[in-house]
Amino acid sequence: MDVLTLSRVQFAVTAIFHIIFPMMSIGIGFYLFVMEALWLWTKREAFYHQLRFWLRIFILTFAVGVASGIPMAFQFGTNWARFATSTGSFFGNILGLETTVAFTLEASFLGILIFGWRRVSRGMHLVATGLVVFGASLSAFWIISANSWMQIPHGVHMDAAGRVVVDDYAAAIFNPDTGITYAHVMVSAIEATLFLIAGISAWAVMHHRTEQRTRAFFLQSMKYVLAMAIVVTNLQFALGDLSGQAIAKHQPEKIAAMELHWETNTDGKGVPLFLFAWPSFTESRNVVQFGIPNLVSLIVTHSRHGEVQGITSFPENDRPTVRESALAFVAFRTMAILAVVMFFQMVAGCYYWARGRLTPERIDAHPRFLRIWVWTIPIGFLAAEGGWIVREVGRQPWVVYKVMRTADAVSPNLNTATVAIILLAIVALYTALFWVFVRFVRKTVIEGPSFASPPSTQAGPVPT
Amino acid sequence: MIEDSALPVIWFFIITGELALYALLDGANLGIGLLSMLPQPEDRRELMLHTLGPIWNANETWLLVAAGSLFGAFPAVYAIMLNALYVPGMAIVIGLILRAVSFEFYDYGEGKRLWGDAFGAGSLLTVLGQGALFGGLLSGIRVEGQQFAGGPFDWISPMTLLVMVGVFFSYVIVGYANLLRKTGYEIAGETFSRILGAGVIAALALAGASFLLPREEYSFLVRWTTPPTSTILMTIVAFIVAAFALLIWAVATRRHVGRIYPLCLAIFGMAFASVLLGVYPLMIPPSLSLFDAASPSNTLRFMLYGIGPLLPIVLTYNWYLAHVFRAESKVDARTRARGY
Repeated sequence: MDVLTLSRVQFAVTAIFHIIFPMMSIGIGFYLFVMEALWLWTKREAFYHQLRFWLRIFILTFAVGVASGIPMAFQFGTNWARFATSTGSFFGNILGLETTVAFTLEASFLGILIFGWRRVSRGMHLVATGLVVFGASLSAFWIISANSWMQIPHGVHMDAAGRVVVDDYAAAIFNPDTGITYAHVMVSAIEATLFLIAGISAWAVMHHRTEQRTRAFFLQSMKYVLAMAIVVTNLQFALGDLSGQAIAKHQPEKIAAMELHWETNTDGKGVPLFLFAWPSFTESRNVVQFGIPNLVSLIVTHSRHGEVQGITSFPENDRPTVRESALAFVAFRTMAILAVVMFFQMVAGCYYWARGRLTPERIDAHPRFLRIWVWTIPIGFLAAEGGWIVREVGRQPWVVYKVMRTADAVSPNLNTATVAIILLAIVALYTALFWVFVRFVRKTVIEGPSFASPPSTQAGPVPT
Repeated sequence: MIEDSALPVIWFFIITGELALYALLDGANLGIGLLSMLPQPEDRRELMLHTLGPIWNANETWLLVAAGSLFGAFPAVYAIMLNALYVPGMAIVIGLILRAVSFEFYDYGEGKRLWGDAFGAGSLLTVLGQGALFGGLLSGIRVEGQQFAGGPFDWISPMTLLVMVGVFFSYVIVGYANLLRKTGYEIAGETFSRILGAGVIAALALAGASFLLPREEYSFLVRWTTPPTSTILMTIVAFIVAAFALLIWAVATRRHVGRIYPLCLAIFGMAFASVLLGVYPLMIPPSLSLFDAASPSNTLRFMLYGIGPLLPIVLTYNWYLAHVFRAESKVDARTRARGY
């Protein structure tokens, strides 16, 4: 492999790993904020216990998120120096805003969220929790804005030296992709994390066989999750549809590639949505394909026989390769299918809840129900990764759509062996991190929640 | 209204300020990380690591803020520096990951020894990487047409090695100074002789490195030998020597132990200023100046009005945290309420 391929693999590995943790931070942070607000409002300690238990998991996700995010920023310089030189005046600027405006807010108030129980008033603590979540959301906004600009680079032009000059900041930051993608990503973070919380809770209910209070605690977590999931899973379908519309309008190559749709349907017949397809690597067609008639036309154009541009209508140099198209095809289906699975999972959960089965006494009659929730822990994250792969791979061969090619973005004068060794080191480190993270979450769940009463907030020496 | 031509200069000083602030806030933490690698009982190491306190993460953000500002304001510098110094840059990245994670997991109790070692190893990688980055940058990078034009191991030179040694021992001293200031770190005879030893090695290595700087290639030598800059620089050197003598005196007589830390910071600040005075306006010696590398004026202006006002706010967060946790490190760190 050459430096370009290795650098692409490295970026994909670091991004795919890193994104899991900020998603959890946003999702669990949101859950914590809701719990803390409910606690202060209703004065019921049950909410406080929820807050304290899930905060322990939150600290771990935050730590791994910060750590795994460090290479994200630096590799634009180390591996993508020509991209950094050329686009820094906008892209670097936005990443700078992310660290200065959002990350510092998050990192600073995290100190109070974790250690501040006896040092600040309850109201101030809630404000700190809110600021951590707000910081995380703001951070996500700037990252999505920078990435959306790579999809639809409005508001800039290239000068003679090949450097980006910003003409209109508002147009570049709030490009047509930013708003919809931001909503889609934020909701996916919350949705994935809700399923994570419910899955961990299901595991905990199975693990803690005898402690009724602990079992009741985790079943309570499951119910709060289900209540929020009713809104979130439905909202996500609408946002996904809007996101597809935006892609169809601004990056038709991506739609063609991710659907493996080769020829433009000029004959007035609708484009089917393939459930399975295997492309030929030499001829512009699929070897095998079957799917639901007219569905792609319906989704993209909101009409059964609407015209959708095919892969062959774009010059070969300016569209994803067959391999990349196939990857986007699989990734898109992964996302869409898992979104449907999550919807039915939510419906089933609500049904069990409505029938009064989510109690420590009655839940043991339904071991399969719990086990399925445990198996679905990763699906929200897998769906999000699928969406991200469609987004990035479907944009190839461009790193900045129609402005800069990925092959022109990579750093000059790097040595393949060095880059490969560093990549291996990062993969090893991330694998170890992931394993440790899972172990620590498991340990925390086995220890179970504490049912201690909230500490008093009176000032004075810290009791030990 | 600020002139367009002043914008790159303003950003140059904002970024160097951010970097200096990072080194001041995080330097002691890195030093303590290095010292945690000395063989010692686990409870002593635990006491050491707990002096890092709850706000060390907030300190480290200044490095990321500086990196973000550099990427936006001087994209070519960010790109060429990390491209040319790929290995040191990645060593810092991996070191920072190890540090951030092992510090959190250390407190969770399981496998303390392993996490403590990982924290030390991460600190070591970060410090050596920073030394190599700094040394590699000062010894010059070949640039053609706003792109790195050298080889991936150009940075390895005797001068870079000396800078790495100097940076390593400087952090060791700051680490000791902070331990003496913040905890009743056992004042054994060996502590003081170690500080003295580290001080002498750091001074010799950094002084030696400055003689190995490339002579003809850039302004450094001229600045040091012709007035008015040479006068200013020699005055700074005189102050550094005086501060160093005071430091040695405080260490040798074991009086005013609390002054060691501020003296370290003062020496660091003056040394940093003298390097800046030697290379300004070069950002990547010997050829790329801050004017060549700057982003277009409208970006610099947007950043100045968008980010500039926020920096005092970030400083306010830092101050607020320091204020909320002001009594933290003096209480027995091991038994402080850990949030759960």
